[in-house]
Amino acid sequence: MHYKTKGEEMNNNSKISLLVIVAIVATLVIAACGGSQEAAPEAGAEVTYVDGVPQYGCLGSADSAIVDLECREVTVAVENAYLPFNYIVTETMQAEGWDYDVVSEICTRLHCTPVFEETVWETMIQQVQEGQFDVGGDGITINDERDENGDFSIGYVNTVMRLLVNIGEDRFTSIDDIAANSDLIMGTQINTTNYETAIEYVPEERVQAFDTFPFANAALIAGDIDAVIMDEVVGLGYQGENADALELIGPAITSDELGFYFPEGSELVDPFNQALESMIEDGSLNEFNLKYMGPTFALTYDEVQ
Amino acid sequence: MALRKNLMEKPGRRSFKELINEFPWWMVIIGLLIGITLLLIFNSPNFNEAFITMRVGISTTLSITLIAYAISLVIGLIVGLGRISSRVVAKNLATSYVEIIRGIPMLVLIFFIALVIIPGVIQSLSMLGEKFIALGWLFIGEPLAGVNIRMISMSFRAVIALSITYGAFSAEIFRAGIQSVHPGQMEAARSQGMTYGQAMRHVILPQAIRNVLPAIGNDFISMLKDSSLVSLLAVRDVTHLARLYAGGSFRFTEAYTTLAVLYLIMTVLLSLVVKYFERRISTNDKS
Repeated sequence: MHYKTKGEEMNNNSKISLLVIVAIVATLVIAACGGSQEAAPEAGAEVTYVDGVPQYGCLGSADSAIVDLECREVTVAVENAYLPFNYIVTETMQAEGWDYDVVSEICTRLHCTPVFEETVWETMIQQVQEGQFDVGGDGITINDERDENGDFSIGYVNTVMRLLVNIGEDRFTSIDDIAANSDLIMGTQINTTNYETAIEYVPEERVQAFDTFPFANAALIAGDIDAVIMDEVVGLGYQGENADALELIGPAITSDELGFYFPEGSELVDPFNQALESMIEDGSLNEFNLKYMGPTFALTYDEVQ
Repeated sequence: MALRKNLMEKPGRRSFKELINEFPWWMVIIGLLIGITLLLIFNSPNFNEAFITMRVGISTTLSITLIAYAISLVIGLIVGLGRISSRVVAKNLATSYVEIIRGIPMLVLIFFIALVIIPGVIQSLSMLGEKFIALGWLFIGEPLAGVNIRMISMSFRAVIALSITYGAFSAEIFRAGIQSVHPGQMEAARSQGMTYGQAMRHVILPQAIRNVLPAIGNDFISMLKDSSLVSLLAVRDVTHLARLYAGGSFRFTEAYTTLAVLYLIMTVLLSLVVKYFERRISTNDKS
């Protein structure tokens, strides 16, 4: 039997270490190179996109600012799966939506730099409360519970909740009908006021909480569930997206205001409110609301992921 | 080895240092974590509320795990036998199955099976049913055409997904177990006049299964943890209920601490049960 000499053993050990180091370095290099791809900005566009997320840079100027935030970065939490506030357009793989337009308009009026960061809805409120983000977009409903550990801006739009159903649905016309018929199953997104409202009418076992609304809509189209409860402004978007498959029905279930969400005591609340108020005064907020939540907002199923 | 150690020690003296080294401190640590959390659950209203909301899901988690694991063992045995088969078709089908399933992450598989495969199968079945109806074969056609997706609930789909995934792992375990039995056993059995099947059933498999019981027990506990993935399909297991509670009450700390410790308790208890059965079966074995 050949016992390795000290020299040969050292050789093998160093070979293995070398291999490990090479492997680690190779992995890091591949990760770094395979990282962000910059899409060429469209001709005439002011915005560049990195990984599909628009990069705005410092907007506005010190002179015209209502409150001068001196180009400070404002991180905005979005989901990129919530029509019409933030979503990805499949053709270009770029993110768009009410949040992007309005927050960049707000930053133009406040001389700040909006930085949009994608996260999951389920933990977004918690993350904003902890200060991981400066502000939460994503159409957050203003309510007392959330107000306890965070701050809301003034409401920027009123919405009601309604039911998204398969076209031609005739077994029910309202959430009370669903409550009465124990064969029917509702769906919605987890950790939303939509879910809280749903379980007020329908037993919890008949309300399925999915990670995102597109998932719930897929279940609706497949027949796994019978209705999805969501904010009307969102429902209009998904109805437009799937015009031959889905429709919004039923009377308004609740009425709520949506607002931007900040960590408790954030110094951005007041400037944002001032910017929003100036946008209400000159009608630009209404224009954005009409653009994204009005009848002209129409995306085909292929256009939106 | 133990004898030598005793001979080398002064009789009757066990050093304090040895006691410290050999004491199962890890049990103490885990016991403390579980104990502290249980105390919190009984004394703090928030933790109590979290636990009460979640405990309804424990039975769902356990039943999904048990049913899925039982099915996966059956799949695993069949596929494992296929893997060592000398017949080309069986061997290649089994190997493809194992390689494909082991090559895809469980999260992806669960979505794929629940949202693509099963709805696809349902649609094909009902299309097939309609073709039969058109041909006039109502007896087969009508039930097939009447098949709709609601018949296979998300829980059911989750169980199928878990079984298919773990079936591949079990197949490999069974294969290793069978191959670990001395080939002389098969030769002896065949020379006694048994067919391949009889030899397998009466001689090889009993030994093989006894050999791999620890691995099978471990896989069961593994599936208990992976069953948490069914929460993504909105199945109301203990993880999903914890997420719902955390989302509705904003008490993420209480919810997730309780959830983690609940899983810890379940896996620790189950490992003790598994070890007990292992010991019983191996002491029964006089070989």
